[in-house]
Amino acid sequence: MPAVKTKYFGKIPYEPGSVIEFPAGLPAFEERRKFVLIQLPTTHPLLFLQSLDDPDVCFPVLRALAVDKQYRLRLAKEDLRRLDLPTSRQPRVGEDIECLAVVALRKDGATANLLAPVVINLRKMQAVQAVGEDSYSLQHPLRPLDKAGTCS
Amino acid sequence: MLMMSRREGEVILIGDDVEIVIARIGRSRVTVGIRAPRQTPVAAREIKLVEEENRTAASIGSAADLSNLIARLRPASSSSGSRRRGK
Repeated sequence: MPAVKTKYFGKIPYEPGSVIEFPAGLPAFEERRKFVLIQLPTTHPLLFLQSLDDPDVCFPVLRALAVDKQYRLRLAKEDLRRLDLPTSRQPRVGEDIECLAVVALRKDGATANLLAPVVINLRKMQAVQAVGEDSYSLQHPLRPLDKAGTCS
Repeated sequence: MLMMSRREGEVILIGDDVEIVIARIGRSRVTVGIRAPRQTPVAAREIKLVEEENRTAASIGSAADLSNLIARLRPASSSSGSRRRGK
């Protein structure tokens, strides 16, 4: 099994089928196309999108529904097309797609980017960071999450 | 700022080689088409803000900062073994 050199956790083995491809990269990191999602019991509920090409590029992320139970994803048709998903309906989180919010730590606290979630097509393992149509915050303040990993 | 009012299907020219077409006007959104030379980057302004967020997110440099972040997300009762709720 191949292993990825991670930014924080040394080398971690991964399944080749679990590689997530971002055909356009992520804004400001357009050159990085291949990532793996790292989930460790020690960092729960935080997950990590680790670049396969560059160990230094690693984004802490949370499931958007863990940040906001009411979170509703509305993808633009362009993004559905970029994800190779049907444009006739919105995809189902957990079945068709995974929806992750990028987490930033700043001096005055931690925030999650709910405006532009990372959306992964789970069947094709293709992903985009999609700027949403709704009025979610780019810097949603994070509070402690409950045991199940959702916002209390 | 120059303000212009345009109808659906009308076009705005910027310089010699950029065209903005008002393709569709909905109730709360407009769809515009942009014709520009390949080397001219075209993006919604939000993308710039998302770039900045991504840079901040990727900049956690130390394990201590990471532990700090994880501690912030965990409920108080499980982040400290010595602290108990109630009596």
